[in-house]
Amino acid sequence: MPQSHAWPRRPLLAGIAALPLFAIRRARAEEPYVLGTLFPMAGPNAEYGTIFTAGAQMALAHIAEDKMLSRPIVLRAEDSQGTPQGGAVGMSKLVNVDHAIYVLVGFTGVSKAAAPIAARAKVILVNGGGVGPDLAGLSPYYWNVIPLAPDEIRTIVPYLASQNLRRLAFIYINDPFGNGVRQSLKAELAKVGGSVVIEDAILPTDQQFGAIAARIRDAKPDAVYFASYGAQQAEIIKQLRDSGITLPLVTYSGANIPSVETLPEAEGLVLTTQASALSSDDPVTQRFVRDWRAKYGTDPTAYNQNYYNAVRLFALLTASLEKAGKPVNGDTLRAELLARRRFPLVGGEGVFDDLCDISMKIVVNRVEKGKLVPLT
Amino acid sequence: MISYLVDLGQLVAIFGLLAASLNLLVGYAGLFSVAHAVFFGLGAYTAAHLALAVSPDLLLGVLAAALLSGAASLVFALPALRVRGEYLVIASLGLQMLGSTVFTEAQGLTGGYGGLAGIPAPSLFGWTLESREALLAAALAILILAQFVINRLMRGSFGRSLMAIRDSESAAESLGKNVALIKTLAVALGSGLAGAAGALFAFQESFVNVESFTLDQSVLILAMVIIGGAGTLAGPLAGAALLLLLPAALSFIPHLPPTEIGAVQQLIYGLAMTLLMIFRPAGLLGRSEGGG
Repeated sequence: MPQSHAWPRRPLLAGIAALPLFAIRRARAEEPYVLGTLFPMAGPNAEYGTIFTAGAQMALAHIAEDKMLSRPIVLRAEDSQGTPQGGAVGMSKLVNVDHAIYVLVGFTGVSKAAAPIAARAKVILVNGGGVGPDLAGLSPYYWNVIPLAPDEIRTIVPYLASQNLRRLAFIYINDPFGNGVRQSLKAELAKVGGSVVIEDAILPTDQQFGAIAARIRDAKPDAVYFASYGAQQAEIIKQLRDSGITLPLVTYSGANIPSVETLPEAEGLVLTTQASALSSDDPVTQRFVRDWRAKYGTDPTAYNQNYYNAVRLFALLTASLEKAGKPVNGDTLRAELLARRRFPLVGGEGVFDDLCDISMKIVVNRVEKGKLVPLT
Repeated sequence: MISYLVDLGQLVAIFGLLAASLNLLVGYAGLFSVAHAVFFGLGAYTAAHLALAVSPDLLLGVLAAALLSGAASLVFALPALRVRGEYLVIASLGLQMLGSTVFTEAQGLTGGYGGLAGIPAPSLFGWTLESREALLAAALAILILAQFVINRLMRGSFGRSLMAIRDSESAAESLGKNVALIKTLAVALGSGLAGAAGALFAFQESFVNVESFTLDQSVLILAMVIIGGAGTLAGPLAGAALLLLLPAALSFIPHLPPTEIGAVQQLIYGLAMTLLMIFRPAGLLGRSEGGG
């Protein structure tokens, strides 16, 4: 007589009871990591928002291709409108509604308004655009993946001295960034026997520079250094050239955007940027440059590189935490960053200090036919 | 989500108070100004300095901010006593430019574009208002108190005199009203309340810099009054709520590419405002032309 094929009841019931647990565990495994962006996406600084976002998006594509993490990443974007108030509202939504654990940010006022909210929620804020020295150590959860202004000045001044350009005219925005550049520039020039022979403080909204050009002509400097950002940079270059200033124009990485580099008047502009992502031979950099050119048909800017690095840094840290079976949150990400310090990023190895600020090699470039040509 | 709504609620309460303060000038006194952000900023910097250097006491900050902004408003009262309409708007535009420049250049006091950061959480009667809900409750309480005072004033002889001056300055003067004094008091009260709103703003943001007190901000405050309904008690509150909550609501539009989010939101926002003014020219809660 054939035996009936009865299922044992207890294991069956236990299995049924455990099903929701499996479902929860699976759901958790598939729950994405939420990254946020808090950039100006409309108005005069929207160009920056677009550039920053494109770098982050390429990093996300590479992380997914490489299956670096066990869970997917989703990107939530908020328009900061480039204002502290817009930044605070956007940050509140990213933290409280989207539950972002890692947010990319880029402007000083926005950074300072968002930083207290990020610190309260223990969410990491990563800057890859602002270079003002006051952005260092804003909070334990505020990191910089861009070398700050003094690093660029320490590179450009010896180069200018080697070209016998020691007497500078200086135009700067009267804000912490501009004042930081001013302080560093004067200190570094003094070391090489140079000086600022004329200086003009401007507002970010200023659009007329004809009078400044006239004063510069009278002062007869060797070169003009300007520290501005956004669309104003193009106006400064155009109006100085239109006013007959043929002196070398020198600036920092803020001019590493298409609207400046492709300007006919910007031909010959000398600017510092991080070590060129284009020339490095490490596989991370080569892949970034190759895929960027394939997708956009242009060379990436330093800002594209920085926000790519910001997202790649998240993946590297999170992969380590996952491997160690640790939770992924602001505290564990920070602890992991400070424990490792050195990361393979686009442009070379990025090294972080105690304030979670990166240092990378800075190079001097010249704009030639709309492209950056390294000089050092 | 609740925390986000609380943050938005704080902003609506603060800007509701700010719009109500401008409504005293625009709606009841007929004094159009695009310099209100200056008094808002003065209040914010005053409270920020007190909180950083003396005490983060909320009442101290709000009262000091209101007093300083009210006193400083005399610089606006001077042109307001001499000119009206579009001429006063131009005079206030000059004042706004002056204020923005001072906020930018007086770096020892304002921090310029770097601003004043690390403003501590406010305290009230010895209790630190750590939670966002507590600050919301405090802001709402101050708003309600301000609305109560405005309502009582506008229903009394001061309010009637003010509206008489708005409708016909020469007629009010011929009836023996002290036009100069009444206008000056209205400007001082409106600016003082703007300063109080600035103090709340400083505590809410924990950071203040010149970018929050620009001409754009002054225009936004004026838009809150006009869109909500000038000369009404609830109109400015409705205008503040609409102009702050609509962009926040638009940020929930799904499936927008990150690089297009700003442009799409701005387009919808601009279109909504234009349509509102076409179909509700007196504002959301404003009286229609024939409605008295």
